[in-house]
Amino acid sequence: MTYMDKGLVEIHEALKSGKVTSQELISESLKKSKEVQEKCNAFVTILEDAKETPVTEDILSGIPYGIKDNYSTKGILSTGSSNTLKDYVPFFTATAISNLESHGAVAVNKTVMDEFGMGGTGTTGHTGIVKNPWDQTRMCAGSSAGSAAAVAAGVYPYATGSDTGDSIRKPAAYCGIVGYKPTYGMISRYGLFPFASSLDHCGVLARSVEDAAIVVDGMKGIDKNDMTSWDSSNMHLYDSLTKDIKGKKVCTIKEIADISMYPNASSELKEHLENFHNTLKHFQDLGVEVEEVSVDQTLLNALASVYVVISCAEATSNMSNLTGIIFGPRSDADNYIDMMKNYRTTGFSPLIKRRFVIGSYVLQAQNKDRYFHNAQRVRRLLVDRWKEIFKNYDAVILPVGSGPAKKFDEDKDMLDHNTQVLEEHLQVGNFGGFPSITIPDGFVSGLPVGINITGNCYDDINVLNIAYALESTMPYKNQIVKEEH
Amino acid sequence: MEERKFTSEMVDDYADKLLIGLTREENQMVLDEFDVIDAQIDIINEIPNIADVPPMTHCLDDFTYELREDEEEESISIDDALANCDDYAGDEIKVPKVVG
Repeated sequence: MTYMDKGLVEIHEALKSGKVTSQELISESLKKSKEVQEKCNAFVTILEDAKETPVTEDILSGIPYGIKDNYSTKGILSTGSSNTLKDYVPFFTATAISNLESHGAVAVNKTVMDEFGMGGTGTTGHTGIVKNPWDQTRMCAGSSAGSAAAVAAGVYPYATGSDTGDSIRKPAAYCGIVGYKPTYGMISRYGLFPFASSLDHCGVLARSVEDAAIVVDGMKGIDKNDMTSWDSSNMHLYDSLTKDIKGKKVCTIKEIADISMYPNASSELKEHLENFHNTLKHFQDLGVEVEEVSVDQTLLNALASVYVVISCAEATSNMSNLTGIIFGPRSDADNYIDMMKNYRTTGFSPLIKRRFVIGSYVLQAQNKDRYFHNAQRVRRLLVDRWKEIFKNYDAVILPVGSGPAKKFDEDKDMLDHNTQVLEEHLQVGNFGGFPSITIPDGFVSGLPVGINITGNCYDDINVLNIAYALESTMPYKNQIVKEEH
Repeated sequence: MEERKFTSEMVDDYADKLLIGLTREENQMVLDEFDVIDAQIDIINEIPNIADVPPMTHCLDDFTYELREDEEEESISIDDALANCDDYAGDEIKVPKVVG
């Protein structure tokens, strides 16, 4: 009998009834961690000495989980998958992780990510690429690559993630699981290595909407150490789940999801969008009205650059403490300038050097208005348009990406014109801080694909309920990697 | 071929400001992406009245910042502060000589 491939409530009941102990769950999870490490390279650290916790009424108590390596964990290596922090051991724990600990959750490993979260492929971590457990010749997407691979492979029921552009919601799609980032500030970012502070969200990768709600209930809460966090104590996500969403109204966006927008579509893209539109039909059975709305194509075309400009600018500012002097492996030089330059030049991977240089350029006084401020202006126009949509609709429903997980040799983390809006539209959820969840939406070419539900700020319960009801119409709840794929 | 607005010297200069050294390949990668971004920013500049839109700096427009009480708290211990430092003497971090 295995438990790590089950949902949280089922595992909790087994613990309560004495069918299994917390220690046995930890042993199962550690054993599975080693198997998945071998196949997928999903972990920076496996916590062999993880200790059981008492089983209480709390659903999370005694149950193993994984932590993305950009969450600070006291006394445990926390690298952000960067050579610049390859030996960094924090002296404090991120608030979201402390909150999970206070619910009795047991961390068993730290997961590999794109360096500092600044990539979407899972290929830029300092410990090597993360392979997709469904097909090891393919990527998991990123940056929460190791968390997604591990949850999909049944190492544990959930792992934490972080999401600045789509870093929870795209890996979830590529790995056939659920990825949820709640409204900005619902979960404290204190102790999360910052990438782009106005876009960074904490969240979770799990295998069901129910589990995602339980975990975020455990992570969230106002925190004096994060001035952007807010009091959500009156929001009980798990307790509010209901499949009755009759009378709700959702929409999709023509310019993103309509096949006619892609005259040169590959057969895989056609299949992906067809699959998406078939799933939309499930809403009819749920008594939900689905309509199609339009968004100005110019705004959509600017989306990816808006993200690059804002995220790179904020990242450049956030990296200033990476000197290699107070922490990080110190470089050898006879003056501090060369010392820092050696540390950064040899420590950062090419992809994030690129981000920092772009950030530096767009923040130069002579460039700031044309690039940075204009990007922030378009950010507002996009968010205003989405908020206008939310006046008439409970949620926007869109396909995730342009198909299933990409092959490693298709690895491209640069802006690309063809299906760019389809690939990047989830970034609007970060621009506006919107609650946004990806759930599995079946298979294309034998590999999992995802569907995303995004709603207005603070409307997390509504978004979760739409996802919960839609999930119930499909057979992918608690989906684990099937070896035959 | 159209003359490039960005040059590899510019890219090296911006990298140098950040104390980052770039290889030729890395420099080329930034240069290529500058061109893509610049083309898209040109499109943004054609959006009517774009200059009148207030830049959006945070996700939550309705957010109100509240100052917390000014309460004295323990700061981190010297041991914690030095735990990740590769070179220190006593209670102080060692750095190369800065003043002649």
